Amino acid sequence: MSEQHYESERVVAVTGVGGTVDLGTDGTETPAKAPGGPGGPGGPGPRGRPRSLWSDAWRDLRRNPVFIVSGLVICFLVLISLWPSAIASGSPLECDLAKAQEGSQAGHPFGFDGQGCDVYTRTVHGARTSVAVGVCATLGVAVLGSVLGALAGYFGGVWDAVLSRVTDVFFAIPVVLGGLVLLSVITSNTVWPVIGFIVLLGWPQIARIARGSVITVKQNDYVQAARALGASHTRLLLRHIAPNAVAPVIVVATIALGTYIALEATLSYLGVGLKPPSVSWGIDISAASPYIRNAPHALLWPSGALAITVLAFIMLGDAVRDALDPKLR
Amino acid sequence: MLLEVRDLHVEFRTRDGVAKAVNGVDYQVDAGETLAVLGESGSGKSVTAQAVMGILDMPPGRITGGEVLFRGRDLLTLKEDERRRVRGAEMAMIFQDALSSLNPVLSVGDQLGEMFVVHRGMSKKDARARAVELMDRVRIPAARERVKQYPHQFSGGMRQRIMIAMALALEPALIIADEPTTALDVTVQAQVMELLAELRREYRMGLILITHDLGVVADVADRIAVMYAGRIVESAPVHDLYKAPAHPYTRGLLDSVPRLDLKGRDLCAIKGLPPNLANVPPGCAFHPRCPMARDVCRTDVPPLYEVSETRGSACHFWRECLHG
Amino acid sequence: MAEPILEVSRLVKHYPLTRGVLFRKQVGTVRAVDGVDFALGRGETLGIVGESGCGKSTVAKMLVNLERPTAGSIRYKGEDITRLSGRALKAVRRNIQMVFQDPYTSLNPRMTVGDIIGEPYDIHPEAAPRGDRRRRVQELLDVVGLDPEYVNRYPHQFSGGQRQRIGIARGLALRPEVIVADEPVSALDVSVQAQVINLMDRLQSEFDLAYVFIAHDLSIVRHISDRVGVMYLGRIVETGTDTEIYDHPTHPYTQALLSAVPVPDPRARERRERILLSGDVPSPTNVPSGCRFRTRCWKARERCAVEVPALAVPEEFRAAGGPAAHDSACHFAEEKKVVAEEHREGPA
Repeated sequence: MSEQHYESERVVAVTGVGGTVDLGTDGTETPAKAPGGPGGPGGPGPRGRPRSLWSDAWRDLRRNPVFIVSGLVICFLVLISLWPSAIASGSPLECDLAKAQEGSQAGHPFGFDGQGCDVYTRTVHGARTSVAVGVCATLGVAVLGSVLGALAGYFGGVWDAVLSRVTDVFFAIPVVLGGLVLLSVITSNTVWPVIGFIVLLGWPQIARIARGSVITVKQNDYVQAARALGASHTRLLLRHIAPNAVAPVIVVATIALGTYIALEATLSYLGVGLKPPSVSWGIDISAASPYIRNAPHALLWPSGALAITVLAFIMLGDAVRDALDPKLR
Repeated sequence: MLLEVRDLHVEFRTRDGVAKAVNGVDYQVDAGETLAVLGESGSGKSVTAQAVMGILDMPPGRITGGEVLFRGRDLLTLKEDERRRVRGAEMAMIFQDALSSLNPVLSVGDQLGEMFVVHRGMSKKDARARAVELMDRVRIPAARERVKQYPHQFSGGMRQRIMIAMALALEPALIIADEPTTALDVTVQAQVMELLAELRREYRMGLILITHDLGVVADVADRIAVMYAGRIVESAPVHDLYKAPAHPYTRGLLDSVPRLDLKGRDLCAIKGLPPNLANVPPGCAFHPRCPMARDVCRTDVPPLYEVSETRGSACHFWRECLHG
Repeated sequence: MAEPILEVSRLVKHYPLTRGVLFRKQVGTVRAVDGVDFALGRGETLGIVGESGCGKSTVAKMLVNLERPTAGSIRYKGEDITRLSGRALKAVRRNIQMVFQDPYTSLNPRMTVGDIIGEPYDIHPEAAPRGDRRRRVQELLDVVGLDPEYVNRYPHQFSGGQRQRIGIARGLALRPEVIVADEPVSALDVSVQAQVINLMDRLQSEFDLAYVFIAHDLSIVRHISDRVGVMYLGRIVETGTDTEIYDHPTHPYTQALLSAVPVPDPRARERRERILLSGDVPSPTNVPSGCRFRTRCWKARERCAVEVPALAVPEEFRAAGGPAAHDSACHFAEEKKVVAEEHREGPA
């Protein structure tokens, strides 16, 4: 089967090259005069333009509707979390109990919640919390996880064994229960304790991925070649291993970002994440759930926003994985 | 004639265009004969074999023309279930990588026996007995004990024997061996090739041996078909070809391999690279690398000229090549 | 032999087989290399042949200090390099470089060709002044037969043979005296193999390189080597000049190996006597006592199981001299011609 695989792979490889090269008579090679345009049919752009995994991936992504849709949703979310007042001029904390549970009306398209706050304004402003938690927690997890994982994978031995056991311990902690216990003792009402908690529980996942990826890459001959040249550990890790090992980390981190946003909402819903007067979809969902019969719209909009956000990030992660996964290329 | 491939065309659709892997291949194999199909990677030698066996992945592959006549019947027109009955029972295939061709979670006895259960409707017990018999036949020592073992417990050479046993199980008339010894060490390779040759004589099977190794071909083949860029460029009885190749590519190959018995000879490398299959040069596909190329080679695709009754060469200047 | 530049003696590499994760327990030893001696002269090519698992790649790794030997020494110009570290090791590395087998994994896919070939200068900044590096890289590309304009391309834009040229250019960058090539052409197509072999031949005379050429293909090794060592299960069993080994082998393993190589000439079929070995190579975790080859040897007697044969010129040939008098680790060494002399008329 392997030869079959090789042959068909070869076909792809040969056709995928942007302008193959011919050996001249004297053994010196000159660029082929590729008839039918550079790189053959459907080939890449101008010859000589370097093509790397990333540019190939980007080419794939641009053509992928899943990526385009999720990308647009995420761009929109980031914009409104940076400048919420651009599309929702009111304050999310300006509430009028007299209007509690009222439905949609002029100037208030989503209606009012149980406290008489404008659901539209609160939903728009809630994006900031979610995006902040998602982005910061993912950055924290990715940095901590990949550094620890990469070091364990690269140096191996005792450190690796210790890290593996530690990650096992963390995997054994039920996330929500852990959150209830740890966060209930914290009184600060900002996003930071939530982010800290997610980083604390999330890094082992990335560390495992990074470790595995580094171990695979480490065995490649180009790493050995650099070692034989006398390259330092730093050079090996940063120049040879990291760029080749980072793809799976990016994929998993993107998907995780969505789940972290959902986790923040869950914790806020349970009352241990953010608490009022902070604005968060989780708080709004929690506040609206007692009135689900009378004012379903107050529950619908924040949960809808949450669901779409989480989905967008997971879809983005899927699209990135498809683009980076060499087995599918 | 046992098998006759006529004007076979296969394409692959890739995201970068259409790669013409096989462009009009003809070859025949008779019962008891060994045909070697020689070519480098990308020459289409394996794709042709997969099309003959009916195991080509479609898509991305597509057979765009030609006939595969097996005992006079065109296999390409058969329905899938009829095709499946031919496969295994009348023709079988041996792959390069025996480890990935065997199922790691089934014992070798179960895998060998399965052939008899599925195709012959035997009971499990009888099938097991036949499996032991087969393992004896391919000279795996202690077959009775080892029949219960799993593929990873066998060495590379032994696994390739198991593959051969599996191919032989239903006593097919034709065996296609795709680089059967490439992954093996030279001493083990010799054992396996010897076994294959012996079994072929014993069962009077036709054997198509796909390889890139000129040495292996010289050792076992009766006839040889040299492939380049999806076409047969030379086809000849093995002695004739090695004595005087009638195609510059064949000549180039023969002159570029170092030989154990000829020291100090300069290696005449073929310049350049095999062509991009999505973009095969016009005229003769070999012309950019050919030392004899002239204008006509750049424009006219050479047909397979008849060199003698048993010999063909797809070179406009085969006479020159043969005598020069 | 010319003045030795590299001397290897009693080189051993054992890998412990362990069980358990945090508290490891050794359950066995893989004797990958188990006492190898050889010397390499300046500008000479030493071929090392053997089947998979014989330890030849491990030897290569130890020569370029990718693996530390368990015991034994590797002397470069008289200095044992196996115990070096830090700056001294780095200095030695400049002089002994490696070419790898697989051109698809030996080049970093994220680096341009220019960066790959120029990396040796980043690691050893003293080797070339900064401003001069680009010119040197282009020169190296030219030397290995590639267009110097390719510096900005990525490895995947090249074919296997071209990648191997890039790997060779990287190996040459620091102007080493020794290049260790581990199966440098076995991943390439037949027609491309010859190009790379010819290139290596040319570079050897141009740069006065000494090669340790490791391969399983006996024909290629014969073509390129001045001297050859045959390895079996972690040891060299026979060594000598190419004529001594190929035309006058005295060790039964060498004879079997040579007789198994298919010769691209159908007329050799009838003429040739094939020695078919039985069974497989034993596992290096469980090496046979005495002579390692005895389990597959048709000449094995009791003595072979108890006494390890030394790698030396066998008694019976010592006095007579001639090509059969070369090192062979067999108690019952005898000369046997297995490669038929052949002179094909009229190869172009």
